[in-house]
Amino acid sequence: MPVLIVKFEGSVLKKVATNGGSITIGRGPDNSIAIDNLAVSNRHAEIKSEQGGLVVEDLNSLNGTFVNNQRVKRSALKHGDVVSIGKHSIQVDESAHGESPDVHRPAANTKGTPRVDETLVLDTEKRRKMMQDMAAAGERSQITPSRIRVATLVRVKGQIDQAEYQLTGKLTVIGNSEMATIRLRGWFKPKMAAQINRRDDGYYLGRGDKVPTINGNTIGAPALLSDGDLIEVCGVQLRFAIKE
Amino acid sequence: MNGKQIHLDVAACTDKGRVRPINEDSYRISLDQNLFVLSDGMGGAAKGEVASAMAVEAVTRSLRENGADGFPKLFTSYAESSNGTNSLVRAIEMANREIHEHGMRDPGCRGMGSTIVAARISGTRLSLAHVGDSRAYLFRADALQQLTSDHSLVAEQVRHGLMSHQQAAASELQSLLTRALGTEESVSVDADEIELFPGDSLLLCSDGLTRMVPEDEIAAILTQIPSVRIAAERLVSRANEHGGQDNITVIVIRLNKPRSWFAKFIPWCSSNLV
Repeated sequence: MPVLIVKFEGSVLKKVATNGGSITIGRGPDNSIAIDNLAVSNRHAEIKSEQGGLVVEDLNSLNGTFVNNQRVKRSALKHGDVVSIGKHSIQVDESAHGESPDVHRPAANTKGTPRVDETLVLDTEKRRKMMQDMAAAGERSQITPSRIRVATLVRVKGQIDQAEYQLTGKLTVIGNSEMATIRLRGWFKPKMAAQINRRDDGYYLGRGDKVPTINGNTIGAPALLSDGDLIEVCGVQLRFAIKE
Repeated sequence: MNGKQIHLDVAACTDKGRVRPINEDSYRISLDQNLFVLSDGMGGAAKGEVASAMAVEAVTRSLRENGADGFPKLFTSYAESSNGTNSLVRAIEMANREIHEHGMRDPGCRGMGSTIVAARISGTRLSLAHVGDSRAYLFRADALQQLTSDHSLVAEQVRHGLMSHQQAAASELQSLLTRALGTEESVSVDADEIELFPGDSLLLCSDGLTRMVPEDEIAAILTQIPSVRIAAERLVSRANEHGGQDNITVIVIRLNKPRSWFAKFIPWCSSNLV
């Protein structure tokens, strides 16, 4: 049977054998492939065998299921296809027949690195070397300081003071407050309608006095933004862009 | 300067946890300056508790002595930040020098260091500066927003896309810092400033809290417990219940909502309403 290779940012997280049954993908721990990321819905998608082939079906997820970068509701899968869910990808490998599925440790827990209980500070030299070692243990490509990216918000519609905003701060406020980064115009606009928190793994949109939507879906807890997301709050629409 | 004065409720709690023999964390609350400083000392043998005590003391003292503009010019200045934020950065740079020099003089303290996170509120503006992996969170709209980026190896890897947030939280290398106070002659301080709104809470904490208690649990405690003192104690006791692997220190600061107009006119009414 084909094997599903789960990857994050180029590193293989694990391989899952398809055995004819259904494989569910989602944020909840009860899924066959559990992905603990806010961009992933609790029950996000399902991969099952039908008439000798694999089929992926989106289970009405918030952020969608993509096959080779095309958003799909349901799609047949063949060797080499890549299913993307949030920042994770699942590659279909039919060449690995008979190979027992094995779980690879992520690059972070490279063998040979010591367990550290005591807090230590690395000098610049040591730190550079460790970063290089970790990078080499993971994926050799694309690891350069340019991976730290600054996102922008581009005005699509609505009364705001600029056409484009760079999200450089840790917290970006959308509202009519004087210190808001994205200043809403109008008498009855809230001081703090919504906010965006820049964290290590990306930008999270959270509510303020209003509850914003992402691609038409109302958010609950702060939600991780992906490139191209459309944010709407108080009649203002903004496109979130983050360049690879 | 913003003239609006917001009333603050503040409480702090610290504990050595269940594993470490001594508490190497220190904190200082200076209500007259609206200044809150927390530091986590490093290196068991190398007097981490001396470094963290020096750090909070030096920052509080130099801000009191120098005010917002009185610092010597040789220290860094961030053009985009206000004077209040820059003075916080300078106070931390001076504390770094003091700890480093002490470590060079006293052989028993050689190589000692600490983290630091410092917050100052003036009007509705929050100035924030930090070095290391002690954090500041804003609790607003029932959600935690992390206002600091850890200067640690794993956090740096997450920022470079080498590791996911989840992998970092499970990593065995979380204790490796990329920046600390006192270990080198100079240090690069991260600074930020944001506007605060009534009802916001601010949480400063050492990694003994954040490594033990998941963020959604921290958020639930801050949502459910109105008293800052009881919330601070609960955060520390939860960290101990989750294992208490490290010293735990928290400072909880809550910005009260202003009383409604009729409560101001009819004082006896407010006690029933709030």
